[in-house]
Amino acid sequence: MNLSKELSTRQESARHAAAKDYTEYFSFSRKSSTVVILIAILVVIGYFIWWLNIPFIEDIFTAGTITLIMALGFQLFMGNSGVLNWSYVGYVGIGAFASAIFSMTPSFKAMQIPTMYPFLVNLHLPFPVALVAGAMVAMIVAALVAWPLMRLSDAVGAITQFALLIVINVLLSQWSQITNGPRTFTLGGTRLTSLWVALGVAVLVIIIVYYFKESSLGLKLRATRDDRYAARSSGINFVAVRYYAYVVSAFIGGLAGGLYSHYILSITAASFYMGELFMILSMLVIGGSMSVSGAFFGTLFVTLMRQFLRQAENFLTRSGFEASGSTEIVVAVLMIIFLVWQADGITGGEELTWEKIKRRLPNGKKSREKVSKNVKQEEKA
Amino acid sequence: MNAEILFEFVINVLSMGSLYALISLGLVFVFGICQLVNYAYGEYITVSGYVLYFLGVFTNLPWPVVFLLGILAGVAIGFFSELVAFRPFRERSLDALLVTSFAVSIILQRLFQLGISPRSKAVPVPAFFNLNIQLFGVITPLRNLLIIGTTIVLLTVLVLIMKYTTLGIAMRGASENFVTARLMGVPANLMISAAFIISGLLAGVVAIFWSARTGSVEPMMGGTPLLIGFIAVVIGGMHSLPGSVLGGYVYAFISNVLSLTLPSSLLSFRDAFMFAIVIAFLVLKPEGLLRGNYQEERVG
Amino acid sequence: MNNNPVLQISDLYVAYGSILALHGVCMEVHKGELVSICGVNGAGKSTVLKAIAGVLKPRSGSIRFKGKEVAGYKPEQLHKMGMALVPEGREIFPSLTVEENLRIGAYGRRLDKSFAADLEDLFNLFPILKERYHQAGGLLSGGEQQMLAIARGLISKPDLLMLDEPSLGLSPALVDQIFELIIELKSRNITILLVEQNAQRALAIADRAYLFANGRVEYSGQPQELMGNVDITSVYLGHNGGDV
Repeated sequence: MNLSKELSTRQESARHAAAKDYTEYFSFSRKSSTVVILIAILVVIGYFIWWLNIPFIEDIFTAGTITLIMALGFQLFMGNSGVLNWSYVGYVGIGAFASAIFSMTPSFKAMQIPTMYPFLVNLHLPFPVALVAGAMVAMIVAALVAWPLMRLSDAVGAITQFALLIVINVLLSQWSQITNGPRTFTLGGTRLTSLWVALGVAVLVIIIVYYFKESSLGLKLRATRDDRYAARSSGINFVAVRYYAYVVSAFIGGLAGGLYSHYILSITAASFYMGELFMILSMLVIGGSMSVSGAFFGTLFVTLMRQFLRQAENFLTRSGFEASGSTEIVVAVLMIIFLVWQADGITGGEELTWEKIKRRLPNGKKSREKVSKNVKQEEKA
Repeated sequence: MNAEILFEFVINVLSMGSLYALISLGLVFVFGICQLVNYAYGEYITVSGYVLYFLGVFTNLPWPVVFLLGILAGVAIGFFSELVAFRPFRERSLDALLVTSFAVSIILQRLFQLGISPRSKAVPVPAFFNLNIQLFGVITPLRNLLIIGTTIVLLTVLVLIMKYTTLGIAMRGASENFVTARLMGVPANLMISAAFIISGLLAGVVAIFWSARTGSVEPMMGGTPLLIGFIAVVIGGMHSLPGSVLGGYVYAFISNVLSLTLPSSLLSFRDAFMFAIVIAFLVLKPEGLLRGNYQEERVG
Repeated sequence: MNNNPVLQISDLYVAYGSILALHGVCMEVHKGELVSICGVNGAGKSTVLKAIAGVLKPRSGSIRFKGKEVAGYKPEQLHKMGMALVPEGREIFPSLTVEENLRIGAYGRRLDKSFAADLEDLFNLFPILKERYHQAGGLLSGGEQQMLAIARGLISKPDLLMLDEPSLGLSPALVDQIFELIIELKSRNITILLVEQNAQRALAIADRAYLFANGRVEYSGQPQELMGNVDITSVYLGHNGGDV
């Protein structure tokens, strides 16, 4: 149904183009408004926080933005394909370790991780290149293993992805020639992921994820989500479309991982396991997994809530109550509540567009009239 | 000498395999009836483990009573988690159920950390559990033989229930075709509750032997048995009760063989090897060693 | 025919998601009647049975069974009240033996002497089931599976037996057998609601008939009238009223 809605909107816009209804393009009601709105919100908040210049709040924003990138990459595959992708945080981990290894100086690596393979020790790339190279590693791993897994759906698919996450986790936590094994991996040096770096990447990723969803590949993928068999009978090779999305998703995950490791500066394999997975899953569920806006507002909402709860938790602990860990409980309960009563999240699985904002504005009556006028014009055409 | 090594290997495989068989059976009972891969199953074991710990440390109850109450705790958590968390999703998508079970698992883990302690607690174990027995020249703790015996008894009882009681026959029917079973008057809620109760009961039995083996309980202890259950279920077949039992023993066999044959430098990667085998199984043979009669939706 | 119908449906609306499948259906079945529902594919025949049996929840309207309002009841509750649906495509439990299939059909019944007597009676109707008693249902032939499905419905001694396309996918000889069986059941005064695409055959044995089209009752009344009416048969049932 989503698909048919989508197709009809497309036909509609084609009709508009034919009618040379230029006002439609300038009136901001076309789909690109979503990207502009999301980026605007992010940049405005980022600029304001940078202007405030309070390190504590800046840190929260930077970490939140990295999480946003993670959630967007997660949404790109899971939201559009409907396949639960437990292995995603594994790629975040791969990107985190790989980009760190690329960017660290050889002398520091030799000192920190004496067991490391010599050819890795001598590798040294500037931070931006290391970031992209780390994401490429995650993407290549995904590209190598994913093809046979894309056929599987439902319970079998879920267990497979889960097993893959465990394999990646065991490798990250045991392969001491690369990751320092179960010990903490320290990057050294200064924090390279600044507020602006995270923000810049996030803007890029919003654009990528949004236009992926709107592309013909994204449309095909969403068609397989709505009805796998119908999509297949219309000639969509669902294994292939899932595969491409999975690989792109792994790239964005790797990017987020690289930003994360250069932000937090010391990582272990355990940072990229069930806890992280649960966090981004809760963001997607609460925001609405089917839309980019859902991932965006889910991240915003959960990040703010977690910060608030964390403070409350610290306060309680200081006052003598043992409360650490209660944040996750609240988030988990909230997630279940959303699944029961609002399964499509706060966005209802739809994108935030300029049209919708206009309708909510106090003088919304006017714009509603405009909309109905537009509808009438359409009917004439 | 060689015969002794072989015999030790056999006892290890049988005792580990019995434990794993019970774990995977607990998962498959729920999966068969409502197609739910229950991530919270590991926490059922944890709940039972903590009850064993509290009763063992703070009371002087005799061991059989402690064990019985521990098993009842597993039954209770299985029953109530279904009632509170899973029942509202019955009509919804499987993914929603899956995500919910994941959330329930997280909630229970955090509750243990918060309410009890994030650190592990030593569980008292009855002395006869660790009594060393010499059998055909092999020395093994008695609990290894007890788990084998317990499994035989439990499996026999379960087979009798599933084959000869109306409830058991109805459960088998419901796991093949839930809607038709309901049309024949089989109550949906009873079937699902029964599946979760049996699942919790098995988790309770597993908790006794698991905590006896590790000697402690901690909030995250459910993770490992859950993963073992996943592997065993996948190997044996997700839609077959006998398959899941077989899967438990096959897993114990593979894992013991890997322990004996892998060079020590690779031993820490054993789990990675296990799960790679699981993935290969799922890709090449999604129905497992024994396939049930449920028609899995699969497009290839 | 007394005034209290076993089943009375009024103004029933049923939807799959947002697509409406039944638009205000009204119908009734009296005790001892054999009522047949005919119509082409997608007319809503199976949908109405599923709604009556509680598999589909009606959007609005009323379903009264033995005088009680039952719209929105669960399938298992309705079965307990005396409804039995023999589903389309037989839907027997393949890995369960014939015996076990019948025991699920008798769910909620005590396995006492009267049960044994009913079972014996069923074996007279379906001797093949006695032969195959300990075989897995999935190993039976299509016709045998249909017998088992009907027997599984009968063993609960229903006040209303609903048959959904019982002749579907069976060879002509077996179709004859199934219709003979339905006549036999009718002679035993069992109330039957029969959905069939094979309209000619169904109308020949029915007391009354409803003709469905596009989710509505297009015609209801005596089967002879329906068969006699060339317009209706050609428009709604295909040229010669289904295959003969």
